[in-house]
Amino acid sequence: MQHKSAMLDRELKKGSAELLILSLLEDEPRHGYDLSKLIETRSGGLLKFRVASLYPLLYRLEHRGWIQGRWVEKAGQRRRRYYKLTAAGAAVLASQRSTWRDFVEAINRITRVEHA
Amino acid sequence: MNEEMQQHLDDRYDELRAAGASHEEAMHATLAELDADDPAGPRDATEVRERSARRWSPAARSAFGVGDVAGDLRYAVRALRKSPLFTTAVVATLALAIGATAAIFSVVNAVVLRPLPYPDADRLVVVWGNLPSIHLQDIVVSGAEYVDFRDRNRVFDAIGAYDAAAFNLTGQGEAERLNGIVATGSLLPLLGAQAAIGRVLQDGDNQPGRARVAVLSHAVWQRRFGGDPGVVGRLVALDGQLTEIVGVLRPGTVSAFGENEPDVWMPIVIDAELLSDNNRGSRAYTVLARLKRGVTIAQAQEAMNHVADSLVRDYTSHYHGGFTTTVRNLKGDIISDTSRGLYLLLAAVSLVLAIACANIAGLLLVRAHARRRELAIRAALGARRSRIGRQLLTESLVVSAIGGGAGLALAFWAVKALVALAPSGIPRLHEVALDARVVAFTAALSMLTGIVFGVAPALQASRADLTDVLKEGSRTIAGGGHRVRRALVVSEVALSLVVLIAAGLLINSFARLQSVAPGFDPDRLLTFRLAPSTAKYSFAKSEQLYAEVFSRLASKPGVEAVAAIDGLPFSGYGGDRTFFLEGKLDAPPSEKPDEQVRFVSAGYFSAMRIALRRGREFTGRDTRRSPRVAVVNEALALKYWPREDPLGKRVTFDRQEPIWYEVVGVVGNIRHRTLDAAEKPELYVPYAQPLFEGWNARPMFVVVRTSFQPTSAAGAVRDVVASIDPDQPISSVRTMEDRIGESLGRRRFNTLLLSLFAALALTLAAIGVYGIVAFGVAERTHEIGIRLALGARPRHVLAMIVADGMALVFAGTALGLAGAAAATRVMESQVFGISATDAATFAVVSIALALVGCCACLVPARRAIALDPVTTLRTE
Repeated sequence: MQHKSAMLDRELKKGSAELLILSLLEDEPRHGYDLSKLIETRSGGLLKFRVASLYPLLYRLEHRGWIQGRWVEKAGQRRRRYYKLTAAGAAVLASQRSTWRDFVEAINRITRVEHA
Repeated sequence: MNEEMQQHLDDRYDELRAAGASHEEAMHATLAELDADDPAGPRDATEVRERSARRWSPAARSAFGVGDVAGDLRYAVRALRKSPLFTTAVVATLALAIGATAAIFSVVNAVVLRPLPYPDADRLVVVWGNLPSIHLQDIVVSGAEYVDFRDRNRVFDAIGAYDAAAFNLTGQGEAERLNGIVATGSLLPLLGAQAAIGRVLQDGDNQPGRARVAVLSHAVWQRRFGGDPGVVGRLVALDGQLTEIVGVLRPGTVSAFGENEPDVWMPIVIDAELLSDNNRGSRAYTVLARLKRGVTIAQAQEAMNHVADSLVRDYTSHYHGGFTTTVRNLKGDIISDTSRGLYLLLAAVSLVLAIACANIAGLLLVRAHARRRELAIRAALGARRSRIGRQLLTESLVVSAIGGGAGLALAFWAVKALVALAPSGIPRLHEVALDARVVAFTAALSMLTGIVFGVAPALQASRADLTDVLKEGSRTIAGGGHRVRRALVVSEVALSLVVLIAAGLLINSFARLQSVAPGFDPDRLLTFRLAPSTAKYSFAKSEQLYAEVFSRLASKPGVEAVAAIDGLPFSGYGGDRTFFLEGKLDAPPSEKPDEQVRFVSAGYFSAMRIALRRGREFTGRDTRRSPRVAVVNEALALKYWPREDPLGKRVTFDRQEPIWYEVVGVVGNIRHRTLDAAEKPELYVPYAQPLFEGWNARPMFVVVRTSFQPTSAAGAVRDVVASIDPDQPISSVRTMEDRIGESLGRRRFNTLLLSLFAALALTLAAIGVYGIVAFGVAERTHEIGIRLALGARPRHVLAMIVADGMALVFAGTALGLAGAAAATRVMESQVFGISATDAATFAVVSIALALVGCCACLVPARRAIALDPVTTLRTE
């Protein structure tokens, strides 16, 4: 489990992390802690972001203009930075998603054949 | 990015703690996340680590965090900015009410509350005389009585006496009449007055035979002597007599003597003549004293009772009617007349503030109601009730702080306006300013308003049950908060009715007063005072002076008549004198006629247009050589000759060697001091027929009736007098309309302010009524929609809504009427021509309030029935 997680973590750094973030922001704006929790729970604990990786990544995405952050204050809560997908981000997401689908499709085709 | 990361860590830490981890465990696990293998990771991880450790330390988290307050504040400001209408309404209401309250409080503070600006001011008292047999109270005393007070008392550290005086300053450029005070040498030291240069008056100055000395006010020193320090020791002509200036007072040292500081101070010379038996009854002096330390007013009164008794024993012939004294605190004495009016204004403005608070409370309640969904959800999600309460409290505190600040700014401006508008005769007005006490008062007031009315909606909101709130949807049934709001509106209406009725009573009184005929025609009448100095003018020469002034003025184009009187109506001058009726020379002292006696020139009554009822008025043929004549007014004729013809009756002023004055005319009564004072009996004597041998020249008021705007004759008047005697000043140049207007000044001021407050109260109450009806309509939009869709007539719906609002208005009116009937009793002395519970005023004001209330109901009601049923039903 430990080695698996470490491998995936490295994998994420190669580019799939961006896809995860962009897809999670597709429906609604979310703040960083929310994103990290979602990634962790939806992956069944397999994928995990560390603070030290997540926020620099968000910063890079925002710098590229794919997402946009905004400080929001709610009564009785700390103010938080919510990120939403920009139009550019949505386009990137669409293209990355199809690339990913193709990639997974290709891998599947190969691995299925081998296992069959 | 660091803040985000910090928050992420905070969230993680909180979550772990909530799951049951210890502080150490949670911190360790959380901070492990900072171990980055990303080269772009935070470079200042150490700093974040340290800060986190600090933030999560149990000590930092247990307390009411500063960060929380800052967050609450930020949130409150943002929330308020999101609803500008609500914020503006609350801030404006608070600012107006607090501004008005702070301004009036400033005036009350300066005039009534603050001690007089003298050292140990609370020990200063004034000692008045009383002559019980002729019902004279609080009268000034004679020089001899003052000396007896001084020598026989054992309760005063110091005692002094003074009288107002005026002096002609000549030989220093333009001649000028200076207002002054003649005082014993003890008076200025008693008041702690200090000299800027030279010295103040002192005890030795009273001794007979001393050279005439004078002390100048700082203002006159600057104005007339250019602030020349060499003025001390200089001789100047005051009333034509050389007088040595021995000192100049520091500015503002002696401010309790009316609104204008006296220009000149001169000693009262206490000589044998002043102390003679003859002069024991010539009362002119006000006595001030400083209590010995530890002596109370009651003890001083007790001691002075003994002194008065000893006077009655020692001078039996003077005091057969008895003689007593009244010892009173100086401040209380100075402000007694004024404080009642000011307290009335303070009471009214406090009511306005209460209405404003009720209004704001209503607004906050509506707001809380509108937000109860949000608040209930937050409560359901675990926000503690105290947390939500604190938030709302912060919000209302922020609003009241802004309102208080705006109010203070408004008050600063309003105080200036008040001082500028204020009538003459309000003591200590120059001391009025916004001071620390007022600022503290205002701050406390606005904070209190915020706390009280922040708490109510907060409590209401936190009590809300989520399921109920969510079930309600937008169709809501009015809850407990709504009952509170209805109660608030009822009280607003009631309170505003009290203020409105008080204003109504004053306005009604003022209108009645203004329509009072003074008994003469004040139209186009210019008046001025001419006071020839006795050193320069013998009586005969003064007659010539007056005659010359009259004839030269009369020859000016547009001048219709010129005449003169010593005690002009509405000038503040005039006095009584004892006389004897023919055939009743031996009347007992208590029945000796003592009435207003005035000296007038020929043609005075026709110049003033005072009605001549019987006989004739004085003419140029009534001289010292002709038979003595007198004119009486109707009040005097009625009092002394009720069933007889007054014409031909004779009076004298000297019982021993009577010179008889025959009544040759009866004139109408006039109002002398104020329009609301009763008309007094008056006896007129020609100036040319002096009462005694060796009669002095008397200062007279000259009246000039013009055919044009009377103020434009002022220049001609000055020229005429200067052309006759360049050293002869004139003073008090005013139109009669101005004088009468001034006598109404304080009343006008009170009426104006109270009317303003009433308008404010009415507006606030109308907004309150409008608010609750509009709120009710909004709540019932759905119901109204259904009714209309089912065929209800719009006017029935309208009537239903208006009736609902008017129920509150009528309830408030009923309460307000009861309140006003009780409250206006204290206004008994302020009303004129009506009672303080004048039924007409009560009725008219109530109807007016009901009408305004009705309009306030109609506006939202009309909007409701104008709605399209389909739209209203779709609001869900």
